[in-house]
Amino acid sequence: MMDGSFPPPGYIPVPSKVDGIKIYVPAAVSENHPEVMDFKCPKCGATTAYSVDAASVHCNHCGYDEAPQKKVLGKGAEQFEFKIETMARSQQGWGEERKEMACQRCGALVSVPPDTLSYSCPFCGSNKVLYRAPLQDVLRPRYLVPFRIDPAACQNTTQQWLGSSWMTPAELRNLARINKFTPIYIPYWTFDAQAKASWKAQVGKEVHEQYTVNGERHTRTRIVWRWESGVVEKIFDDLLVPGTVRLNLGALSKIDFYNMSELVLYEPRFLAGMQAQAYDLPLEQAWEAGRKIMRDQTRRVCLDRASSSYVRDFSMSLDFCEESWRYILVPVYTSVYNFQDKTYQIILNGQNGNIAGPRPVDWNKVWLAIAALLAPGTLLGFLGLLTLILQIGVLIGALGLFLLVIGLVISFFIFRQAQEMENV
Amino acid sequence: MSEQALQVQTLAEWGVNLQFVICARCDWRYLLPTDSPLPRCPHCFQTNLTVLEGGELPECRPELIVPFSAKGQVIDSALRQFAEGIPYAPHGLDDATLRARLFPVYLPMWLVDANVEAAWQAEAGFNYQVVSHQEQFEENRGGWRSREVNEGRIRWEPRIGQLRRVYQNISAPAMEEAKTLKSQLGEFDLSQPEPYQPDKIERASVRLPDRQPQDAWIEAAAAFQAIGSEEVKQACAADHLRQFRWTATFANRNWTLLLLPAYTTYYLDDDGQPQPVMIHGQTGRVTGSRRASMQRAQRSSLIILLIGLFTFLLGLILGAAAVVIPPLAPFAILGVLVGLPCCLAAFIPISLAWDFNRKQAPPN
Repeated sequence: MMDGSFPPPGYIPVPSKVDGIKIYVPAAVSENHPEVMDFKCPKCGATTAYSVDAASVHCNHCGYDEAPQKKVLGKGAEQFEFKIETMARSQQGWGEERKEMACQRCGALVSVPPDTLSYSCPFCGSNKVLYRAPLQDVLRPRYLVPFRIDPAACQNTTQQWLGSSWMTPAELRNLARINKFTPIYIPYWTFDAQAKASWKAQVGKEVHEQYTVNGERHTRTRIVWRWESGVVEKIFDDLLVPGTVRLNLGALSKIDFYNMSELVLYEPRFLAGMQAQAYDLPLEQAWEAGRKIMRDQTRRVCLDRASSSYVRDFSMSLDFCEESWRYILVPVYTSVYNFQDKTYQIILNGQNGNIAGPRPVDWNKVWLAIAALLAPGTLLGFLGLLTLILQIGVLIGALGLFLLVIGLVISFFIFRQAQEMENV
Repeated sequence: MSEQALQVQTLAEWGVNLQFVICARCDWRYLLPTDSPLPRCPHCFQTNLTVLEGGELPECRPELIVPFSAKGQVIDSALRQFAEGIPYAPHGLDDATLRARLFPVYLPMWLVDANVEAAWQAEAGFNYQVVSHQEQFEENRGGWRSREVNEGRIRWEPRIGQLRRVYQNISAPAMEEAKTLKSQLGEFDLSQPEPYQPDKIERASVRLPDRQPQDAWIEAAAAFQAIGSEEVKQACAADHLRQFRWTATFANRNWTLLLLPAYTTYYLDDDGQPQPVMIHGQTGRVTGSRRASMQRAQRSSLIILLIGLFTFLLGLILGAAAVVIPPLAPFAILGVLVGLPCCLAAFIPISLAWDFNRKQAPPN
């Protein structure tokens, strides 16, 4: 630095508070995205879009490919601290001009490319949307997980998934009309933190005592309580919290397992021709949700450290340190399918193909299965009653009761699963 | 004094009639008013001083002077504290004598002016705050309670730049023992020095530098860098600065003297050698060797031993006489009982003085 010309290349002057002292700082790396990035084929002028299959911006007209600058950062991607000003300030918006469309039917905010003429809401399938000015408080996404699953593969995956359960109607797989899959980048917050907890609780140990009443010896179990304490350190790495509340969070939670080692630097080309949604759950609220998950997990670890499962008067103090966050975009496909005049929304992980969403349930099958499960127990119970005179009725009745209990338990789980399948 | 044009200094330039004196024993060189009788050397307090010709005066010119500001009662108190608690203190090691022998002396320090041009690089640190959380769970109090806490952190950013500044009166040690004196006496408050006036040194001696500017330049350059670093921090509006490095050129270097106030005094040890004591002219802090007089301790021990022996022998004689005159027996026993402990107690003064001297830190 001290030799040659001054300042060295890449440095720019900044104001100094003292006369006679000049100050230079490294020039910030400008990301130089134009306000509007027009994805036009340089060869034929046709509109280009990101192709998952080719992993590049592709021209369907002439076959031109332009791969985005794929800088894989993985877990090494920069993380940000919870600065007071960061929490408060409004952030930059998207790197390319996009239109924020609000769906009249479900209210979802979707950022769509400006050259999109027809738009179908990926959340409810509604075609009627109104233009609304973009939100101001939008953090600029810096990283994303690129799509790896081809849209063509989604159709097969969905059909397999629709026919994968005996609870769904038999004709679902063939009769369901699956709409086009819309690739969409949705916002996620990732959180890292180190949780240091110290806990204290009364832990109970079973003690068996023998005593005598009227000459008869009995055994009783008593719980002896004593205080225990401990220290737990738990590291949370890339805890994912959705940055949106517009999507079906229940379905989202079933598919939001992303391999963070594929995290790449945000590049507008990845979004060409796709939809992307800015966060609508601010950082502070997302971090609150993340902390809740972290503290509950830490609490479970503390409880596991107790020497017995009998625990009372549990208390713990928890300090978070080295907290950091990232704002990322993750790929999902959304679609809807119609079956018997009803619309069902489905969501598919764009990285690994996991799929979730509600499926119609053929309740006749479910009730039939439940009836079949309960029948043996009930019948044996009746048989036991009838054969009570023959002295074997007790045995048969007991067996019937046993089968009935088992049948009830399995039926309960089947019923829950069916409900969940329909209402996820 | 410009290094480009070294001038031979004369005593007249100090503005007062001075004589240039050197101590043959400790080699201290200093200036004394001509009308004052040659006292002892203010450093070693020997009397073998030699007056030198003014032409041999080291090249130095006074610019600033830090006046004596320690109040009399502060010095009295400090001397009292210094002198008390010494068993069998040598003659003269008492606050009154030390006070009577106080002699003001100015200690030199170089002041350097220079035009500095430098290219520098550093890491500037800026304070910021992050939000963290502490959570508390109590089963009996309804679950979780969350508390937000702000934590201060430093963000480090690289900075480079150029510096073109004129710095004046950057201090550098002018005495070989400056570091030792600083550790013994403490720092001097250099914030309010006064311009040198000849009348301020009329009743004092002035210690002359025994370090040449070229020797003191190492410390001066470090001081320039320190002040440069501080100014760069200000220029960057930074809260902290680290890894500061510069490549600097220094032009128009000008060396003058800053005079720092101190008092010296002394007491005589067992061998009749003066033991110097120095007092900070601003704070009254005292430094010097505190020694017990082994001679006085030995004398006390001898007296006690003689008394003990005499009493013991008397007891023995009375014991012998008690064979003939029985009523003398109690006196004989008393004599032996008193004499024996006295003999043993004779070791106490010597051991006290020895132990005290042993515990005193050796003078630097």
